[in-house]
Amino acid sequence: MPETRLLFKNIDVPGIDRIDVYEQHGGYQTLRKAVLDMTPEAVVSEVMASNLRGRGGAGFPTGRKWSFLPKDGRTRYLVCNADESEPGTCKDQEIIYKDPHLLIEGVATSAYAIGAEDAYIYLRGEFKVGYQILERAIAEAHEKGYLGDNVLGSGRRIDITLYLGAGAYICGEETALLESLEGKRGNPRLKPPFPATAGLYGMPTVVNNVETLSAVVPIIAMGGAEYAKLGTEKSAGTKLFSVSGTVRRPGNFELELGKVTLRELVFDLAGGPLEGREIKGIIPGGSSVPILTPDKFDTLLDYEALQAAGTMLGSGGVIVLDDRSCVVKSTLRLMEFYRHESCGKCTPCREGTVWLGQVLERIESGVGRPGDLDLLADLCVNIEGRTFCPLGDAAIGVLKSGLQLYHDEYQAHIDQGCCPLGEVVR
Amino acid sequence: MNAENLAKAQELIQRFPQKSSALIPILHLVEEEFGYIPQEEVGVVADVMGVTSAYVESVLSFYTLFHRQPTGKYLIQVCRGLSCQLMGADELSKFLYEDLGVERNGTTEDGMFTVEAVECVALCKNAPAVQINLEFYPNMTKEKLQGFLDKAREEVRSGA
Repeated sequence: MPETRLLFKNIDVPGIDRIDVYEQHGGYQTLRKAVLDMTPEAVVSEVMASNLRGRGGAGFPTGRKWSFLPKDGRTRYLVCNADESEPGTCKDQEIIYKDPHLLIEGVATSAYAIGAEDAYIYLRGEFKVGYQILERAIAEAHEKGYLGDNVLGSGRRIDITLYLGAGAYICGEETALLESLEGKRGNPRLKPPFPATAGLYGMPTVVNNVETLSAVVPIIAMGGAEYAKLGTEKSAGTKLFSVSGTVRRPGNFELELGKVTLRELVFDLAGGPLEGREIKGIIPGGSSVPILTPDKFDTLLDYEALQAAGTMLGSGGVIVLDDRSCVVKSTLRLMEFYRHESCGKCTPCREGTVWLGQVLERIESGVGRPGDLDLLADLCVNIEGRTFCPLGDAAIGVLKSGLQLYHDEYQAHIDQGCCPLGEVVR
Repeated sequence: MNAENLAKAQELIQRFPQKSSALIPILHLVEEEFGYIPQEEVGVVADVMGVTSAYVESVLSFYTLFHRQPTGKYLIQVCRGLSCQLMGADELSKFLYEDLGVERNGTTEDGMFTVEAVECVALCKNAPAVQINLEFYPNMTKEKLQGFLDKAREEVRSGA
């Protein structure tokens, strides 16, 4: 069961970050085709036909997102979400650092399609080197006429501005990202209005993930219908999966959706468990989604199958836990993360993550109380669906599922007053 | 801010359709110049942006990459994301705290090293990961960290 490489087609080509090498491998032919031979509407139609869904986590159909832009003559913006921050996810990073022109071509092609002259790439603050790599690549693209006031002589202006965040997970949420891009605190906005009608500077805006915009390149190259033949009806195309945690060969893998099982990805491609260990659970879609136990490892990797299994495809960040990984400690670690990253706007999320963290901390340190598991479950109920943005729900994904699936391990911490796994040595 | 950065700040203000967007990039300039955001610079940024110091504080306090205390010549950030923790990040932090005699977010007395345990830096496939100043260091071990510390100290010694 091999990988199907569209986005990662040239990822291992030496020097692919330089424009001449990128061009030698067919680079910028898609932008040329779009800008010189196709109308913007035709490009949107191809993306519609491809059935591409947003690769940042939510899985919303990209073509439909683009179609929501009102035709009222106002300035439109395209914003690329490169704030890759979901724990367990490191796929966008690889595109940005190794094949920056793929992203630039995807952004420029998409900007052309939606009628935006200015596109912004919002990078998480830790990607400062990625910022420099993209800065150089954008300068190269300007020199060659792929960006600028008159792209490839078409008369169309397309420019890309880079923006560096400063350390805030919540800025991956699209409205928080827009606030941050406007130089403000990254508090999420009330929706509606959605960014399509009132986004950056109040103007119609499309926000798409790095992987989504990069996928536009192969889609326009091969045609939307051809792309849609890959994967399944509702999960078309390929998706990047980051496998991390306790496996032999962690890494990024590009897979045709709906054709490969979680087991094949983790046990075959990523090499399976470490020496002498057994895998006891996998978080398949970034740290915000419910965990799966071994009886679910044969689930196919696509949006519907994972949903049917009780979890989500999310960002494709696959985190592997083995029999020496403590579920309580891991969940506590995640809760500390969400506690730190909560913007503080909504009480259930701001106070809930602190409270959950305190209870998990005492269970983990061996002083849990008899009613603590019920308390955790009750707190989850009081957070789920009660916050402004998805961070509240994200914070309890692993906890809520883990309380049911690893109930005995939680209970043992309370009953024995310590971790039943003992001191974990790696 | 030095004259060069003040000029850059003015350029940033012109670059975006709305001036407000320049605030975070300007704070990055300050952080780069001083290694943190000194209190008096908050007022300078406020003047440049035409907003109050309180507003600048409200924005900069939201973002963890802006430091309010001086950091060392080498800012060592140990990723404590779940994937890194599963692969031994805690041991790396513990090693650094003990070897350098600092607590979390602490700086050595000679101003050489600051050690932070930070949230996921998106290098999960190379866990445990460490970021030192701008560079990512994949698949870190105590031995590799020791090697880095020795080299950094040697460089400073020979340069002094």
